[in-house]
Amino acid sequence: MLDRRSLLLASAVLPGAALAQSRPVTLGYMLPLTGEFSQYGIRFRQSATLALEAFNAARRIPVPVQILYEDTRSDAREATSVAQKFSDNAEIVGVLGDFSSSASMAAAQVFARAQLPQLSQTASHPDFVGISRFQFRNITTQAYEGPFVARWAAGNGVKRVAVICIQNDWGQSVAQGFNTAFQAGGGEITSTEFFNPGNREFRSILTKIQRERPDAVYLGMFYEDGAAVLQQRRQLAMRMPFYATSSLYEPRLIELAGAPAAEGLFLATSFMPTNPDPRVQAFVTEHTRRFNMEPNSFSAQAFDAVNIMLEAIARAAPDVTRARLRDELAATRDFPGVTGATTFDPQTREPSKTLARMQVRDGRFTAL
Amino acid sequence: MNLDVFFLQQVLNGLSVGLVYALVAIGFTLIFGVLNVVNFAHGEVYMLGAFAGLVLLTTLGPPLLAAVLLVLAVGAFLGFGLERIAFRPFRRFRDEASLKSKAVREATLLSSLAVSIVVRELTEKFLGADMQVVPERFRLQEPILLEDLGVTGPLSELVIIDGQLWILGAAVVMFAALQWVLHRTDIGLSIRAVAANPLGAQFVGINANRVVIATFAIGSAMGAVAGLLIGLYTADIQPHMGFAPGVKAFVAMVMGGLSSIPGAVICAILLGVSEAVATEFIAQGWSDIIAYAALLLVLLFFPQGLFGGGRERV
Repeated sequence: MLDRRSLLLASAVLPGAALAQSRPVTLGYMLPLTGEFSQYGIRFRQSATLALEAFNAARRIPVPVQILYEDTRSDAREATSVAQKFSDNAEIVGVLGDFSSSASMAAAQVFARAQLPQLSQTASHPDFVGISRFQFRNITTQAYEGPFVARWAAGNGVKRVAVICIQNDWGQSVAQGFNTAFQAGGGEITSTEFFNPGNREFRSILTKIQRERPDAVYLGMFYEDGAAVLQQRRQLAMRMPFYATSSLYEPRLIELAGAPAAEGLFLATSFMPTNPDPRVQAFVTEHTRRFNMEPNSFSAQAFDAVNIMLEAIARAAPDVTRARLRDELAATRDFPGVTGATTFDPQTREPSKTLARMQVRDGRFTAL
Repeated sequence: MNLDVFFLQQVLNGLSVGLVYALVAIGFTLIFGVLNVVNFAHGEVYMLGAFAGLVLLTTLGPPLLAAVLLVLAVGAFLGFGLERIAFRPFRRFRDEASLKSKAVREATLLSSLAVSIVVRELTEKFLGADMQVVPERFRLQEPILLEDLGVTGPLSELVIIDGQLWILGAAVVMFAALQWVLHRTDIGLSIRAVAANPLGAQFVGINANRVVIATFAIGSAMGAVAGLLIGLYTADIQPHMGFAPGVKAFVAMVMGGLSSIPGAVICAILLGVSEAVATEFIAQGWSDIIAYAALLLVLLFFPQGLFGGGRERV
């Protein structure tokens, strides 16, 4: 470390270098802080705050790291303009976000041109990382989760499945990921139904599915939609098992749907607050203490994403540039996070993680 | 097409969706019929009615009927406030030119839109954008098998929900009460007079301001109760809940001829049923096309709407 006098000397001799040394490393975080997805963005900001404070307190690098948050409502048009703003800010060396695949992919077009590395905690559309070599994500895609659930359902003797997905980029990838794997395993997809975002009236879809008499139903949607589906399937007395994407894993799901409606739901997840791993427990305790709410899987995805980014900054320091940060992100191997160990494939930039199986039993998420 | 029990269930699903649209459309159309302006904040009154009712139920726990009456009062108060903020300022010019001016009407269209955005964003800011947890004992979600009601034969397998009965009841009561108020009371007579000819009504000594306030209070009270009942039925109470039913109520109102309440109700039910039945043939994600295609066809062939063009407004 330089002492004060040599720092002064250095600044006299090399003003540029000294300036670079004292300036914080800046990251941008684009996320929905208002609008109908704001509950997710607020969780991302909470997780980022925890991760950033711990990193700066540990003084891993001589200068502090700061994060600039910009609200996009997770809207593709707003994401594009925020992405442009971040790209034009020469201080910003890396970007986190956005929430939805649609917004993340719109922003990715801008970041690809600006050669600014982007790491999304949740964008799981298969094409996202293919946009350029600057896109990364800390979530397994539906190309990974779909086959996992398909094998699981087939193992439980399920032969015919009806699929209900939200009508957006991500929902399309859910259907594709699951259907392809399930059919390859000899199963039959009786129908695939897409619903418009914001729609909470599922009775007509469920009635249509009842006639097809599938062995199980697979849901690809957010937990609030999921709560409505689960209530309405109980009203219509549908007794076949329901499987769902990990996005339905949220403690409030059971409260929103009502315990009898949620009972029996199967889903895969990479994060469980009850996991005895000390890292997970430390995160859950600190999060609950600071924000008076237990983290959910979205919190955990964001926490790991920010830490992966900070870890890459620590490796790139002292010369943290956009290009070097990209290369260090691509070199992420076995990063120990709260969502399991994460490795980025250096070529495809796809993460690999481990998924766990859960079921709602007696009104609680229970690991199987 | 399979004319089986599932198809009948689909029609039943559609009827309940249509009743939801109709319940929202009644208050909406009343306000349009009198003022000839779209009240974009109706969806927010609907949303605040649901929130107010939920707070009331979870804190005081009154019987649902009492909560409905209290929310009726909350809605009337909201309507009064809404009129003051978004509509009254544009009625301060009393000369004939201003009363007939399109610009003034368009200004209130935008001011109600502004109020709607501000109210929605504030609710989101202070209460969060996510769905509120509706405790299970307050939900109107209990399925009733028709068999249990003594129905036999193929219809016995059909399912209705207790919330659907509440919504049906509310729609019938509101519709009947409104017809009674409009045709049997003095204020109703004044409302119809202002709706038919605002200037003429003033010439014969009707206090147009009072009539407008009463219209907003009645229309908003109905909107607030619709929000509460539908919120308890769907257990979906959040700041954006007013948007989707608001759009469909608007479509129903336009199809029904803009100022005909019976027309709006009939079109709302038609919309709900056709959307649900369409799900049998096309993906549900496309079923909105049915609503808008129906709207286009009606406007092409019946520019006055299906039930418009009569001499009587409201």
